[in-house]
Amino acid sequence: MELDNVMRPAGQAQPLSDEDKRFLRELVETNRTEHHGRLSYMDIMFELEHHYGNSLPGPVLGEVARLLGTSPAQLNGFVTFYTMLSTEPRGRHVVRVCTSGPCHVTGAPSIVAELKQLLGVELGETTSDGMFTLEASSCLGICGVSPALMIDDDAYGNLTPEDLPRILDAKRAGGAQ
Amino acid sequence: MKLFSTQIIVPVDSNSVLQGALEVKHVLEEMIGKYNLGSQVSVVETGALGIYDQGVVLAVFPDDVYYGNVMPSDVEEIVTEHLLKGRVVSRLTIDRSLSSKRLVEKESGKSQQKIVLRNAGLIDPQSIDEYIARDGYGALAKALAMQPGEVIQVLTDSKLQGRGGAGFPTGLKWGMVAKEQSDEKYIVCNADEGEPGTFKDRLILEGDPHSIVEAMAIAGYATGAHVGIVYVRGEYFMSIARLKKAIKDATEYGLLGKDILGTGFQFDIEVYRGGGAYVCGEEFALLESIENKRGTPRNKPPFPPQQGLFGKPTVVNNVETFANVPPILLNGSDWFKSFGTPSSAGTKVFSLSGDIVNRGIVEAPLGITLRELIYDFGGGVKGGKHIGFIQTGGSAGTVLTDKFLDVPLDFASMKTNSVSIGSGVILVASEDVPLLPFLAEVAHFFWHESCGKCTPCREGTLQVKTIMDSLVNRTADPASLQRLGKLLTTLNDTSFCGLGQAAPLAFESALRNFPEVFDQALAESHVPEVCQEEV
Repeated sequence: MELDNVMRPAGQAQPLSDEDKRFLRELVETNRTEHHGRLSYMDIMFELEHHYGNSLPGPVLGEVARLLGTSPAQLNGFVTFYTMLSTEPRGRHVVRVCTSGPCHVTGAPSIVAELKQLLGVELGETTSDGMFTLEASSCLGICGVSPALMIDDDAYGNLTPEDLPRILDAKRAGGAQ
Repeated sequence: MKLFSTQIIVPVDSNSVLQGALEVKHVLEEMIGKYNLGSQVSVVETGALGIYDQGVVLAVFPDDVYYGNVMPSDVEEIVTEHLLKGRVVSRLTIDRSLSSKRLVEKESGKSQQKIVLRNAGLIDPQSIDEYIARDGYGALAKALAMQPGEVIQVLTDSKLQGRGGAGFPTGLKWGMVAKEQSDEKYIVCNADEGEPGTFKDRLILEGDPHSIVEAMAIAGYATGAHVGIVYVRGEYFMSIARLKKAIKDATEYGLLGKDILGTGFQFDIEVYRGGGAYVCGEEFALLESIENKRGTPRNKPPFPPQQGLFGKPTVVNNVETFANVPPILLNGSDWFKSFGTPSSAGTKVFSLSGDIVNRGIVEAPLGITLRELIYDFGGGVKGGKHIGFIQTGGSAGTVLTDKFLDVPLDFASMKTNSVSIGSGVILVASEDVPLLPFLAEVAHFFWHESCGKCTPCREGTLQVKTIMDSLVNRTADPASLQRLGKLLTTLNDTSFCGLGQAAPLAFESALRNFPEVFDQALAESHVPEVCQEEV
C-alpha cells in the first residue's frame, strides 16, 4: 500500500528510515498511554513538527496515518485545518505576529511592516536562508503587553519597531548553535 | 514547615516573565544569599497580580508594600534598605490598589471576598498545599457529602451563568447532563481562549490551576461523569504546564483518581491542546477537535448535554465559570447573589487592553460601568487623550462611543442597551486610532477564522472583508453600505454556528454608532474605472 504517495509535497520525497519508523511507532504508543487509550493527534503533530523542523513531511504523515488507523486524507484534513500546523516546509524559527484588535490599536501594523522589511519576506513566507518563517497570528492572549509576538515557544511584548532587530538577532544566534 | 518572617511575592505569569520577572527573581535570590537573609526571607512565585503596566512587580508581606518597574539593578537596594533596615524604597512603590485582589472590596463595599481571582497572585500556583491552605478542595469535600442533586440545586439557586460569552445557566446545564442515562459522561473545560482581547483564562490557569481541577471534579460528581478534559490553547505553554502539574499533584493527594477522599467516587482529568483555531471555542467544534477531527461545528439540537463528546452527555464550561464553582459551594448561593445585578449574579473578570493606562485584569461585580472600569481601574486613556472608540465583548462584540460609559455591564446589557459583555473584553482606542482600518482588521480576522463549513459564513465574511477594505482604500462603490447591511443580516440569520452569527456585531454597532465615519469614506471614494464598467 503506497500511502506515502498520497500526501507527499514537493521536495519531501526521501523514504522513511527504520529509525524514523521506530520513532513514529513509539510516539503514537506513548500518546495512547498518556490519554488512557484515546489519542491526541494534536500532541502527536506538535511532537512531529518539533522533530522534523517545524513542518510535517508527507511520508511521515502517511506512516503516522497508518499507525493511527486512519486514512491519509483524513489526517491531511486534520493538519491543514489548524494554523499552528504546517505541511509546507517552514524556517528554523516561526515568527507569529499578532494582528488582532488590541495589538492593532497599540501599533501592530508598524510591527508587521518592520518585520517584513527586516526579514525581506511577506506574511506566510520563509527567508531565503531558511531561518525565519513570518506568520500573522490571531490573538495570542497576552494583550496586557501588546503589541506582541511569539517566536517558537517564546513570547515578546510591549514591542516597538526598534526592538525587533535585537530580538531577531538573538534568535538567529541561538538557532545557529 | 519553615517559618519566614518576610515573604516577597514575585508574579511569574506570562505577562510578567515578558517584562523580566525571572531575571529580577534570580537577582533577588542572589542578594538574599549575599546578605545572609535566607532564613528570614522567602521568595514566592505567584500568578499575575493583575498589574501589567508597572513592569516587574514585587510585593513584600507582611509589610504590604508593592514595588513596580523593578529592574535587576534595583534589587540590591530593596534588599539592603527594606529587608535589612526596614526602610521602604519609596521611589519604587506603587499603589497597591492597582492589584486585582483589592478590586472586589473596593467596588462592592459588601464583602471582603474576591471570587474567581481569590488565589491568583496570593499563592504559589504550583503548590497544592498553599491551595489547600486557602480552603482548596474544601468545596469538593463538601460536595461529596451532599447528594449530586443538592450540588446542582446550589448552583441553580446561585444563578451562575456561563462566563465564556453566551451566559447559559450553569446549574441548568449540569442538571441536563445528570438526567441523561449513559455508560459514560464527560466534563470538558473550554480553555481555548481565543476571543481577541481576552486573557483572563490564561491568568486563572497560570495563577490558580487547582481551582479548575477542583471544580471539574465537583461537576463530575454532580452529573455522574468520571472523565474530565481540559482543552487548552496550543500557545498557552505555561497554562498547560501548570495544569498538568496540578492534576498530577491532586492525583497523588487522592483528590483525583479512583477513590476520591475515600468516598468511592472516581474522576480523572486529561489535558488536550488546541492548534490555533478560533472556531474551536465553539463548543461542538471544540469537541470535534478533541475527537481528532477538523474543528467544525455540529448541528444543534442535540446539544452537548444530550450528545456531546464521542456522542455522550457532556458538560462544556468556560474556565472562569468553573473557577466560580468552589466558592459558591463553600459560601452558598445567597452569598454569590449578593454580588452583581438582579439579572446577573456574581462578578466578571474583565480584560482591559489597548490605549489604557493600566492594562490588565479586573474582577468586579456585574453591573459595573465602562466608566468605572476604564477610569477608576484602568486609569483612563493613555496620554490623557479622549476615547476614540471602545470595543466590548471581543472581536465578536460591540463598537461603542463614549456615550455608553455609564451603561451597567451585565448579561442583560446587550438586550437593554446594545452593549455586549461577551468574554469581558474592554478594548479602548484613543482618538488617534482610525476606526475603519480597525474594523477591516476585525473583518480579516473573521474571514481567516471561518471554518468554511457553511456558505453564509465562508462567503459572507469574505464579502464583509472586501467591503471594509474598499472603505479603507476609498474605492467603495455607492451601494456598498446597503450591501454591507444586508450581508450582516444574512450572516446573523443564517450562519451555522455562533462564529458567523456573532461576526456582524462589531460592524452593525459601528454603523449605528459611527455612521459619519462610513458616510465620509463613501463620499471620498472613487470607484476604479474597471469596476465601474462592470457595474
